[in-house]
Amino acid sequence: MIQVEGLTKIFKDKKRGKVVAINNLKFECQKGQIFGLLGPNGAGKTTTLRILATMMVPTQGKAEVNGFDVVKDANKVRRHIGFLSSETGLYDRFTPRETVKFFGRINGIEDKIIEKRMAEIFRNLDMEDFQDVRVNKLSTGMKQKLSIARSIIHNPPILILDEPTVGLDIITARTVIEYVKKFKEEGKCIIYSTHIMREAEKLCDVIAIIHQGNIIAKGTLEELKKNSLSDDLEEIFFGLINQGENLK
Amino acid sequence: MSWKNIRLIFVKELVGTIRDRRTIIAMIIIPLIFYPLLFTGIGYFNKLGSMKSEEATSNIIIYGAEFAPQLVKYFQGNEKIEILNIKENSSSKLENGDVQAVLEIPSDFKYKIEQGGAGVLILKYDATEAKSRIAQKRINQIIEKYKGEIVLQRLSHLGLKEEFITPLILKEENIATAEKIAGSFLAVLLPYLIIILIFIGAMHTAVDLTAGEKERGTIATLLVSQISRLEIVLGKCFAVMFISFTSMVLGLLGLTLAFLSGASIAGGIEGAKFGISINTIFLIFLVLLPLVGLASAVLVMVGIFARNIREASSYITPIYMLTIFLGIISISQGIELTSKMFLVPVLNSSFVFKELLMGKICWDHIITTFSANTIIAGFALLESTRLFTKEEVLFRS
Repeated sequence: MIQVEGLTKIFKDKKRGKVVAINNLKFECQKGQIFGLLGPNGAGKTTTLRILATMMVPTQGKAEVNGFDVVKDANKVRRHIGFLSSETGLYDRFTPRETVKFFGRINGIEDKIIEKRMAEIFRNLDMEDFQDVRVNKLSTGMKQKLSIARSIIHNPPILILDEPTVGLDIITARTVIEYVKKFKEEGKCIIYSTHIMREAEKLCDVIAIIHQGNIIAKGTLEELKKNSLSDDLEEIFFGLINQGENLK
Repeated sequence: MSWKNIRLIFVKELVGTIRDRRTIIAMIIIPLIFYPLLFTGIGYFNKLGSMKSEEATSNIIIYGAEFAPQLVKYFQGNEKIEILNIKENSSSKLENGDVQAVLEIPSDFKYKIEQGGAGVLILKYDATEAKSRIAQKRINQIIEKYKGEIVLQRLSHLGLKEEFITPLILKEENIATAEKIAGSFLAVLLPYLIIILIFIGAMHTAVDLTAGEKERGTIATLLVSQISRLEIVLGKCFAVMFISFTSMVLGLLGLTLAFLSGASIAGGIEGAKFGISINTIFLIFLVLLPLVGLASAVLVMVGIFARNIREASSYITPIYMLTIFLGIISISQGIELTSKMFLVPVLNSSFVFKELLMGKICWDHIITTFSANTIIAGFALLESTRLFTKEEVLFRS
């Protein structure tokens, strides 16, 4: 469902000159699979996901989402994705019902279908009690549930989740993780970026460790453990990063 | 491009803006409640102050009263003047406000008048004090009256009539209708007010819908939807136009209410009858629309370019100052624009408004203004859309 080949993004910075944010990335993610991008801040996770979500154009390489090119068929790609990031905000002066309805409409869904799906999502996410309360009165957990509802109202087969648990308390973070698992069971293809080892361990079928724009290791948790002779993902992670630094 | 999508963004922005308490305060409470109250208050206190000063008796000191008994009789006969018999330092009394004026009559006054010469009188008063100015006015009126009498006496001594010294009488007739008087009064202020109100109305909303959306992180959710960048920009721009136009109308309504309530207390404007024809109103709206569009498109463009609300506000300040400057030119009397100057946005609209309010319809000016502002607004919209596709602008931090 997602195929990335030689994806490179170079930013021009006034002070630093050319900055290679991601370099020659190659990976793929299938239906019913969670592909994890694990890396520290500034590793290139967000840039990769922004390219997949058609918000940025790659400098080189190619990315296809559900068979559509992210540059040439950006609009078709958007129809098939749900995007959620820790940075995406909500409209404070709207209620969850209004928010979800608005996002359903701007994704071209008919009102009847929106109402039906919204009722279902609100029930599943346990949002019925606060569906008519304005967003500025909601707790962080409620808001994150709404963010999830907003990103799946058009029932996208692919979810792009950029550090969706950052800044959340453990209870809310756990709820988010439970829903991601559920989406996987529904057969959705999920790209999940995180810098939290435990999350990657618990959720991801395939993990790509990304550092300074390069994927320095990729495989299932078992494969990563086998290759690095360690049982702990954190150890594997730091071992790989140190290796990379020494090679420099 | 789908109008349905543009409408979705427009409605969402409008609802969000109207639900913002700051919008309600700026759009409704300030113009419709605060302005009239403020003007009524100012009018009331002004009137109260001037009534008190007019009613009060003026205390004056006359030095050398014995040298002009005739003149002093006039003063004594005036109810609003009280002559105090004080011999000591009058300057300090005048400064303290105990007396409002001091009149000094020299010893040779009577002699000079009788000899057909000019008697010199010295009047001391404090021009910064309302009561003292009123005393000065009252004394002047009495002196003028006395002067008139002396002139008549002198003329009759010479066997001449009053007409001898007034050989010419000029009778002036003002042909301006009441509407025109009102129009010329409005033409000075109204274009400036319209322009400023449009800008103030658009400013907050434009920044909130663009830089504000970036700051709150909601922009990404719009960018990954099915709506195109152009539809987002148009939806936002139309919402800013609507808010700006409504603010301007409510602002003018508030100022009219304020003016009427203030003026009715202060006594109104003499000879002015407010009435603008339907044609004029239609033409004003015709010129107004591209101006509202221009202001909204430019402010939306700046808002999209800025990283956050603070940065957007600092970019907008010089634009606002420039607008005020162009608006002020229209207030200045006697300035006439050349045909080419009607290509300058804001300046052109203010002069066309001025012409329309004065009853002049210059089609070439109206067409130039309409076209110039529409084209520039169109460019600003296209540039906004282009900025919306530029990732370095959208994700600058």
